[in-house]
Amino acid sequence: MLAAFRRRYERLLEWIVIVLMAALAVEVTVGVAFRYFGYSLVWYDEVASIGLAWVTYYGAALAALKRAHIGVPELMRMLPPGARLPLALLAEACVLAFFVLLAWVGYTVLEVLAYDTLVSLPEVSVAYAQSVIPLGALLFVLAELLVLPEVLREARAA
Amino acid sequence: MTGFLVFVCVVALVLINVPIAVALGIAAVVAMLVTQGAAFLPNVPITLFQGATSFPLIAIPLFILAGAIMNTSGISRRLIEFTAALLGSMRGALAQVNVVTSMFFAEISGSAVADVAATGSILIPAMKKRGYPAAFSAAVTSSSASLAIIIPPSIPMILYAVMAGTSVVQMFVAGIVPGLMAGFGMMGLCYWYAVRYNWPVEEAFQLRRLRRSFKDAAWALTMPLIILGGIFGGVVTATEGAALAVVAALFIGMVIYRELDWKHLREAIIEGGVQTGAVMLLVAASALLGLYLTEAQLPQRLAQQITQLTSNPWFVLALLNVFFLFVGMFLHSAAAIILVVPIVMPVVSAVGIDPVHFGVIVTLNLAIGQQTPPVASVLMITCSIAKENVWTVTRANVPFIVVLLAVLLLVTYVPATTLSLVNLFYR
Repeated sequence: MLAAFRRRYERLLEWIVIVLMAALAVEVTVGVAFRYFGYSLVWYDEVASIGLAWVTYYGAALAALKRAHIGVPELMRMLPPGARLPLALLAEACVLAFFVLLAWVGYTVLEVLAYDTLVSLPEVSVAYAQSVIPLGALLFVLAELLVLPEVLREARAA
Repeated sequence: MTGFLVFVCVVALVLINVPIAVALGIAAVVAMLVTQGAAFLPNVPITLFQGATSFPLIAIPLFILAGAIMNTSGISRRLIEFTAALLGSMRGALAQVNVVTSMFFAEISGSAVADVAATGSILIPAMKKRGYPAAFSAAVTSSSASLAIIIPPSIPMILYAVMAGTSVVQMFVAGIVPGLMAGFGMMGLCYWYAVRYNWPVEEAFQLRRLRRSFKDAAWALTMPLIILGGIFGGVVTATEGAALAVVAALFIGMVIYRELDWKHLREAIIEGGVQTGAVMLLVAASALLGLYLTEAQLPQRLAQQITQLTSNPWFVLALLNVFFLFVGMFLHSAAAIILVVPIVMPVVSAVGIDPVHFGVIVTLNLAIGQQTPPVASVLMITCSIAKENVWTVTRANVPFIVVLLAVLLLVTYVPATTLSLVNLFYR
């Protein structure tokens, strides 16, 4: 059950990341092409930068699910299982607390930002771009919860 | 005092295997809550968002993507065939082919990991079959792959330029001479081994074979010209050059060679997105910690204390080299740049070291760091491709690391190796 859900969730995040990566590559290429032919798109670099932030946070949630974030697991591997389990729980609690806080504060900030607009596209609210923070944080929390059983199993193993 | 506590907090969290990016975020939030109270909280999501929106850094996912497309479209294989036809008559030919292919590849890809995937899976089995020691085959693949981050384009150089506030293009130009020196040094080392152990030549030089493989690889060989020519000529920025690299690789893979493998490409894009997420989350989190560091003036105070001890740039460079070599052993190269560069930059500028020169020094240190366990990203991947023990390969790798160290020393104390081209074209 859980494994099937995890696989589906992974598929979903993978497709989001593929679409965003492709969109980013196309957007930058189109921007260069337009400038080359003399029609500079004013919004091109601002939108591309936002695209990078989107790839970052959806990619980060996927990286959490694939356990690919940059860290130092060496010390924990050297500890005896008795010490490892409580420390692994503490580490997971810290990660979850950080992203729960980020999702909540990120959501409340959206209301404040609703009336700010992008510099190059005055008709688009900053809140749309910034929505990636609470969404990405929630996806990260879900991913972290899904890998939690695996992390604890490894911590318990000799 | 809070500065010290923040440092302890980050280290403690990292040691219990909290991802480094998250550890930075937690430490920054706690420090700011203590010094400024809850009114600071709304700055957290805003800074984390803005920290991830950077036009120059878009080059990172794009160069990863370009490298992935090359690996799945037959471009890498043709590059290897061409260098084999070029160097096949040399003693120890396959070792030379390994280094030279890595040097070609380094001009298109900015990531040593992509380079290992391209050369290692073809050349390590081939070398073993021809009787080269397995550990040596893995070592030459691993070390020459690190040329990818010294020879432009280079993802660590892009990260450094953004973190240090200097020019990506100038960093790229500054990397050319040190990259070639390291490459030729490795070729020399391979030749010495080949003569000593009488390693095999592959085949007599045939102009016909060379011409055929050149024709076959011609499209692949034009890619560095398009990408680097566009960037150095000032026609496109580094980010746009990366987008061109993606388009060119797709065009060659789909229209010219017609070998593009969609299943592998899909996996490669996902892998690229995951790597981007991991590195950029670290960049964004360091922006958050940067808020606190700037507030507390920590890097400036550190700079003051060090310059009180000594203001001799040679001595400071020696210290920084030792420090970066140490950091490179224990940290992933992207993490090392993101964590350390913002803190040491005030020292670097206080003693009058050129930021571009320093950037190449940092890159070389991290290229060595990719080869030195316990944390050695490129070495680990090579060992898993070669199915060899990490420590056996490391022993065989020592002479190659010495080549890189020699280049590092030369670059550190002869700034002209990096700066003469930059001065010639850009200053």
